[in-house]
Amino acid sequence: MEVRLNKKTKSVLSAVCIALFLIFVYFGDIMISPGSSWKMLITVIEKGSIYALVAASMNLLNGFTGLFSLGQAGFMLIGAYTYAIFTIPADSHDKVYQYFDGGLIKWSIVEILEGKMGVLGHYLGMFIPMIGAGLLVAVIAFLIGIPVLRLKSDYLAIATLGFAEILRAFFQWNTLGPVTNGSNVLRKYTTYNNAVFPVLVSGICIAIIVLLINSTYGRAFRSIRDDEIAAEAMGINLFRHKQTSFIISSFFAGISGALLAMFQTTINATPFNTVMTYEILLIVVIGGIGSITGSIIGAFLFTAASEWWLRGLDAGRWLGISASFMRPGFRKVVFAVLIMLIVLFYSRGIMGDREFSWDGFLTWCRNLPANIKAWPEKHKAKSAARKEARAAKAAAKAKAKQAKADSEARKASGEALFTPLPVADHVVVFDKEGK
Amino acid sequence: MGLIQTWLPYILAGIAVGGQYALIAIGYTMVYGILRLINFAHGDVFMWSGLIMVYLITVLPLWLSIILVIIFAVVLGTTIEKVAYRPLRSAPRMSIMISAIGVSYLLQNFALYITGGLTKTYPAIGWLQKTVRIGSATTKMVTIITPVLTIVLVVLLVMLIKHTKIGMAMRAVSRDFETSSLMGIDINRVITVTFVIGCALAAIGSILYFSNYTGINPMSGAMPGLKAFVAAVFGGIGSVPGAVVGAFVIGICENLIKGAGWTTFSDAFTFVLLIVILMVKPTGLFGEKDIDKV
Amino acid sequence: MDERKTVLKLSDITMQFGGVVAVDNLNLEVHKNEIVGLIGPNGAGKTTAFNCITGVYEPTNGSIEINGNVVIENHPQGKMKDTYKGRNQGKYTNTLTMLPDKVTKLGVARTFQNIRLFKGMTVLENVMVAMHMNQSESVFGATFRSRKARTEEHSMREEALKLLKKVDLYENRDDLSTSLPYGKQRHLEIARALATHPSILLLDEPAAGMNPQESDDLMNFIGRIRDEFDLSILMIEHHMQVIMGICEHIYVLNYGGQIADGTPEEIQSNPAVIEAYLGGDE
Repeated sequence: MEVRLNKKTKSVLSAVCIALFLIFVYFGDIMISPGSSWKMLITVIEKGSIYALVAASMNLLNGFTGLFSLGQAGFMLIGAYTYAIFTIPADSHDKVYQYFDGGLIKWSIVEILEGKMGVLGHYLGMFIPMIGAGLLVAVIAFLIGIPVLRLKSDYLAIATLGFAEILRAFFQWNTLGPVTNGSNVLRKYTTYNNAVFPVLVSGICIAIIVLLINSTYGRAFRSIRDDEIAAEAMGINLFRHKQTSFIISSFFAGISGALLAMFQTTINATPFNTVMTYEILLIVVIGGIGSITGSIIGAFLFTAASEWWLRGLDAGRWLGISASFMRPGFRKVVFAVLIMLIVLFYSRGIMGDREFSWDGFLTWCRNLPANIKAWPEKHKAKSAARKEARAAKAAAKAKAKQAKADSEARKASGEALFTPLPVADHVVVFDKEGK
Repeated sequence: MGLIQTWLPYILAGIAVGGQYALIAIGYTMVYGILRLINFAHGDVFMWSGLIMVYLITVLPLWLSIILVIIFAVVLGTTIEKVAYRPLRSAPRMSIMISAIGVSYLLQNFALYITGGLTKTYPAIGWLQKTVRIGSATTKMVTIITPVLTIVLVVLLVMLIKHTKIGMAMRAVSRDFETSSLMGIDINRVITVTFVIGCALAAIGSILYFSNYTGINPMSGAMPGLKAFVAAVFGGIGSVPGAVVGAFVIGICENLIKGAGWTTFSDAFTFVLLIVILMVKPTGLFGEKDIDKV
Repeated sequence: MDERKTVLKLSDITMQFGGVVAVDNLNLEVHKNEIVGLIGPNGAGKTTAFNCITGVYEPTNGSIEINGNVVIENHPQGKMKDTYKGRNQGKYTNTLTMLPDKVTKLGVARTFQNIRLFKGMTVLENVMVAMHMNQSESVFGATFRSRKARTEEHSMREEALKLLKKVDLYENRDDLSTSLPYGKQRHLEIARALATHPSILLLDEPAAGMNPQESDDLMNFIGRIRDEFDLSILMIEHHMQVIMGICEHIYVLNYGGQIADGTPEEIQSNPAVIEAYLGGDE
């Protein structure tokens, strides 16, 4: 049973769903009291959408262009700092940069524009440094890309990872203190006041990534992922296209960095380390390399699990079980084990390389009851097949063992190592007619 | 004379840390040579060896602890290979790399859980900490021991690779994975041996390294690991002597940069070096050219 | 001699990897609308010659002209100066290199010996990728679907569909490229190459793995596209039936060296060729 809707219905359906979701987030953030456990849902949506953006940007590189890059945390770091530095209110500078005489930059874009244009200026003042953060990261990606994108993909991974590590040290360098506040945190900068803001910004950015992937350039990226040599033979300039993908991916990583800075309200370079990049990569893997839908689902699952569902594992009590080994850090261990299980046994992730479509989704929903009913049968057949395979494997192993033992025995008894060809007892000769 | 006096301590420290990087780098270069895999978890095996030592020394005598640390590293490394890499051997290369990253993430998080995120102090091993005078400089015994031990181990390893049957098998597998398996070489055994050697050396490296930099936390393996990998690339990935030369170059340069007062950029240097070598001579100092079949 | 215009000319092309000479002083010409065969036993250096023409390898010595212009030229440099084993040293002094995508833009398209389709993409997408280089919209315009991007996308799709109809793959347009049967994958590879609007088409063993019936069809197909797309074709092939059936001129390689060239009749009676294929009588 397949469901097929016409284009218009789908657009209306999508628009309605998105609108409902945004309204839910907007009023949810306003109306749910901070103490309620439902507040957690809003937090997860906020953080999840930020991670969804950075995961989608990484997927553009790793899943769609085939470049194994591990620089995402570094790019987020630049984005976060750029945004924060330019939006700290003038009279907070002395407090924030207390060890650096109030810092070098003593103004805030938000305040300047707000003074001139009111509320509109306030939001413009947030957007300009955010876009600026993205652009700065893009310029840096352009520069790093020149040497690094000519490398084989393994080296690219190490070079980008290393670069991200250098950045961390660079931002904490005392000499840059008047700008970056050295190893102290940046705080008091302007942040959004409703969770709908990051959701909306991430949503727009992800939509742009999807549009790019479905354009002729996206096709060129995917051809590079599938076969570099063939892509080049089809007239695609490898370096230029890799560079384009790298720069765009970095731009969005920068934006997500700025959003993360707003979400956290204080930032410091320390947590933007390899672990963070690994987490983003693992989100991409959980969702499915080569699926933006997957990255979004992966990001929300990841944040929900780490911020909400598995919280109890750190606090000593989870699902009514309490144990002394559940102390801080245990959550992440369980988490890492889960991820390893996914990587090893479910390597296509949730979505594989498929994307969400209304037709696919509705078909899936309609067939779900039937599939659930058929599941025990299918499972039985599957486990039987697995059993058979295991038995066959064991038999083969036994046979090999036997053969080895035989040859060893022969060796011991001084026999020749090669098996003489079996000599036929008698040979039947057919004549040409085949009698 | 004055110049040597000022720089000698940095050069000595560089040689020492270079030797420690070399011991880690061998694990990277051998595994990459055979599996074409950057074993992202190698740095964490190194870190865990250090961590285990911290715990073992509290209950066991030193000599036993050292032996157990090496055994632990070997068991950990080969287990990782069996569980996380072997099932993916026919999967796309990106999958194995992701698996390696997953293992690294697991090891780091587990270390975080065990240590509670606190930096542990590595036990002082008496005779390694003894001070010695070389010319005008005073230094710890470990600074002298490291390069000597490194060179001895590397010579032994090269002899093993050159003259034993398993060494020959390793060379064959790194040259052509599929053909060697068709020729009846037990690939799994070769890979296991590779991991055993790599991890044992990393464990020895960890003893020397953490005797020098006594603080150890779950992230301690990341940077030395990355640097050791760069050393392996610099020397020509797959080449053991290359990795050792690369490691010494990185160790010495890094310390000279520190000596010049640019500590912040001593780590950055490693990656600049990586990029430069890959631009100028992508095969590294002693690497052989890999021709892509079209 | 052939009076048609020379579209592809290899002069003294030598490709040496370390001490191994894969192609040794190859001289070859393809004229307009000609179908030229390149044959030789396995390891004779045929594919290496293709890789030199398409810019995948830099030849060690020699030059390559496309449509009358020298686009690739090289002479032994660095370490190669000492190890170089070929002749004609000193004849070439320039170093002109070209990346494969540039060669394709000059009108030389190719297929591969072991089919290299874009695995994760549909048949239609495979062909449309090859048209990407001819579109002129920027990434920005393409992402935000400017009017130009939409018209270009539309015309690319139309053209690709037309092309697929011509090679009998229209029905399979939305299938994943790797789900096609082997013979159709070969056809798709040729269609993809045609989508780059080439004037010269290099086919690397197009009939490999085909039965006599299929290779007959392929022969007709190659002849047909030559006429329809106004192509000159250089092909590597082992099926003698195909080579002898459609090639007007044949070059024979053995151990990198060129041992004969001529019309199919001349080649069939050439003793050196017979010896290379069947082994000499000692």
